Amino acid sequence: MEESEQSEDNEFEDFEDEESIRDVVVPGEVLTEDVKNFLPGRGTILNKEKTKIISLNIGLKQIKKNYINVIPLRGFYTPRPGDKVIAMIVDKNPVKYKCDINAKDFGQLKPKNTIKKGRTRGFRGAGGFPQEEVNTKKFDIGDILVVKILSADRLNKPELTTIGKYLGKKVGGIVISIDPPKIPRVIGRNGSMIKMLKNLTNCNIFVTQNGRVWLKGEDIAHERLLIESVNKIASEAHTVGLTDRMQDFIINEKKKRGIE
Amino acid sequence: MPLIIKDEYPEKLFRKDGKRLDGREINELRPIKMDVGVIKNADGSAYLEWGNNKIIAAVYGPREVHPHHLAKPDRGILRVFYRMATFSVFDRKRPAPGRREKEISMIIADCIEPLLFLELYPGTSFEVFIEVMDADGGTRCASTTVAALALADAGVPMKSLVSAVAVGKIDGKIIVDLSGIEDKAGDADLPIAITWYNEEISLLQFDGNMDLEEMNKFLDLAYEALKNIHQIQLDTLKSKYVKLQEETSNPNHKNDNKGE
Repeated sequence: MEESEQSEDNEFEDFEDEESIRDVVVPGEVLTEDVKNFLPGRGTILNKEKTKIISLNIGLKQIKKNYINVIPLRGFYTPRPGDKVIAMIVDKNPVKYKCDINAKDFGQLKPKNTIKKGRTRGFRGAGGFPQEEVNTKKFDIGDILVVKILSADRLNKPELTTIGKYLGKKVGGIVISIDPPKIPRVIGRNGSMIKMLKNLTNCNIFVTQNGRVWLKGEDIAHERLLIESVNKIASEAHTVGLTDRMQDFIINEKKKRGIE
Repeated sequence: MPLIIKDEYPEKLFRKDGKRLDGREINELRPIKMDVGVIKNADGSAYLEWGNNKIIAAVYGPREVHPHHLAKPDRGILRVFYRMATFSVFDRKRPAPGRREKEISMIIADCIEPLLFLELYPGTSFEVFIEVMDADGGTRCASTTVAALALADAGVPMKSLVSAVAVGKIDGKIIVDLSGIEDKAGDADLPIAITWYNEEISLLQFDGNMDLEEMNKFLDLAYEALKNIHQIQLDTLKSKYVKLQEETSNPNHKNDNKGE
């Protein structure tokens, strides 16, 4: 139905096109000593003498033009403006909701960002009154929301909104968490993996950048299969030909479990 | 009747054939076994068996600092909690952290801190919990080694790993990797840690008697041993991923050929 949209990020697409096996590198590993032809990209650093390029993360080595990048395999989510994430309300007061978005800070959802502005009536600046009252009675503690991040930086708490397409409260379904760096793999190149998962399991699935996956299917058997598949993708994220293998896996499992 | 056993050390710490009491050569390390990802709910974790030492480390972060007054507005902090289990040593160890635990926690934090980019995470903390389950000499070196491993497993960006080893002197002979008895009965003891980024010494403590010439020999011997330990660390971090890559890629390559 509605849940096909993913926040598309060019940076994460690197992870997806994996035709050949890439080297696994660890922090401190020298990626190259050829500093004239290569520049340090994402997840890398030059050493003090500027003679070597060194990896900062445990990840996969990737060379793109003359940049050397390391695509991390482990790590945490850093909120960025524009991301759509799954949040859970952990606290609220009359002024704001406090939301767990799987980042270092709690996100803040102000009630003015939860209600659509009404049509303006009157003239000369009069009007513009919201149709609903501005208060924090709309959601409760423990609610699962899909929110968009309005602003985020290193110092301040991220600010959230629920106004927009696909945003708002989620009713029903299951939320699971995986490692945030592995999310691009669950989506696949141009959404190929997620389309396959949806078609084969008849489930609605919504994947967000903070490592949370919301899913809802016809029955618990399909949902269980989907959860296992997502976890399998996360554990095999660094391997080649994952989409084909997952397709075989799901078809086999369906036969084994006797679900159509 | 309580069992009372006095601390008695053998008079000679070398066997007749010139080897050490446990049958090692003077520059031989104890057998080392490492593993990562042992604690599911931690962000990163590692386990180390070094001779009779058995140590678990877990990493959490970046997350909010408690108590809040420890937080720094301009940078994150690294907190290390080194603890020994009550059953880790021969006499029951009191579980409350004492002077020794606090000191070792501090030196491990100071040892690893220069490798992290704490300025990127203001107001937060990375927390490393090290639990010594079984102790037999050289736990501070082993703890430093395993803490670095756990941080790398957590996906915390770091310039390189840290390795540590103790070098000592018994009966005028310089030995590498002191065991519990050698540590207590020996003449000198020098734990040393190295950061592989730029190969700088990050920890150097000393206890006993030696002269400057011996000091140089100590450092040379330690460097050789540290290289071996570093190699084991790298292999441990990589093996988990490389094994999966190889397993999954082999049948896949056959499929590719068929398609062509």
